[in-house]
Amino acid sequence: MSEKRPPEVKRRDNRAWWLVLPVVLSVAFTAVIPLMTVVNYSVQDVFSPNDRIFVGLEWFRDVTRDPEVRAAFGRTLLFSAQVLLVEIPLGVAIAATMPRHGRVAVPAALVVVALPLLIPWNVVGTIWQIFARPDIGLGGWAVNRVPGVNFNYTLDATDAWITVLVMDVWHWTPLVALLAYAGLRSIPDPYFQAAQIDGASAWATFRHVQLPRLRGVLTIAILLRFMDSFMIYTEPFVVTGGGPGNATSFLSILLSKIAVGQFDLGPAGAFSLLYFLVVQIACYVFFTVLTRSGR
Amino acid sequence: MLEWMVWTAPTALVFAGLALLLAGMAVWARISPPVARRGFLRIETDRGDRLYIGLVSAAVVLAGWIAVSDLSMWLALALAVVVVLVIGRWG
Repeated sequence: MSEKRPPEVKRRDNRAWWLVLPVVLSVAFTAVIPLMTVVNYSVQDVFSPNDRIFVGLEWFRDVTRDPEVRAAFGRTLLFSAQVLLVEIPLGVAIAATMPRHGRVAVPAALVVVALPLLIPWNVVGTIWQIFARPDIGLGGWAVNRVPGVNFNYTLDATDAWITVLVMDVWHWTPLVALLAYAGLRSIPDPYFQAAQIDGASAWATFRHVQLPRLRGVLTIAILLRFMDSFMIYTEPFVVTGGGPGNATSFLSILLSKIAVGQFDLGPAGAFSLLYFLVVQIACYVFFTVLTRSGR
Repeated sequence: MLEWMVWTAPTALVFAGLALLLAGMAVWARISPPVARRGFLRIETDRGDRLYIGLVSAAVVLAGWIAVSDLSMWLALALAVVVVLVIGRWG
């Protein structure tokens, strides 16, 4: 190699960036411009494009102080917290009991665990809507055979909440289990052999060998499940429609009621932007963890 | 053509400001490329990352303010600007 570098190496050719243009245009068309419109709506009372009143930040003040919105926010946070508290340990437990070896056992276990993930949201809702019914649903019927239990999710707020929660656990714990299983499978066998030689109990092996190695996938699982449960809409909409009363009306259900049901586009715009802010923060944390882990 | 977007002067100003900010950042990056470093946020960020984190934090400040306080939103805006500057400088 000569001491002087050829000039072509220094010249940077960035023309390939133009290949990003179609993505920029389609995102602008489908996301950025509609979002800007939402921002415009959120500061006005719009009757028609020619008949509208500028109201400043009034909708934001109304929405953030509306007891119904605050209650829905609290409910959604509580729901997400319960989802994480149940699904993460349960998913890890399922993953830990899934077979590590076997030509038939491993694929069979994977398929069985993954099945709920393949079912569309509204179908999951429909399944549980019928399954949990006390009259014709096996689940609801069986629960009511327990002495002293009077389960009816269409009348009782707690029953409705539990139904939606159990449904989410049924639908999404498999995702956590699959992620945790992938994490567990990446641990080389010698780690387990070493633990065995040291006489480690099953719990000690889990606590000191498996759990530390699950940190990455569990972070992803927690963030994914938080975002999804925070935005949950279809399943409770199908099962309870947000009721009885307001018992299961989460943020998304309340938002669609304001936007589509009452057609209050101004308050709905302000609501959407605040909702978007929370989801945006969760997404950014997710992205940061994914791209910066190990740095 | 843009009638359906129901523009108002204040929102147009905000978006124009954001566009100018991004263009300014691009020019600045051209003149002196950003350097990633660690600040009190404890993750490695360059100034574009910190601008984004700052703007999102400012939005949180504004939303929190309007939710609990009846004081002027100009005070909230001043606080938000301080937040953006602090995160941009030391974050």
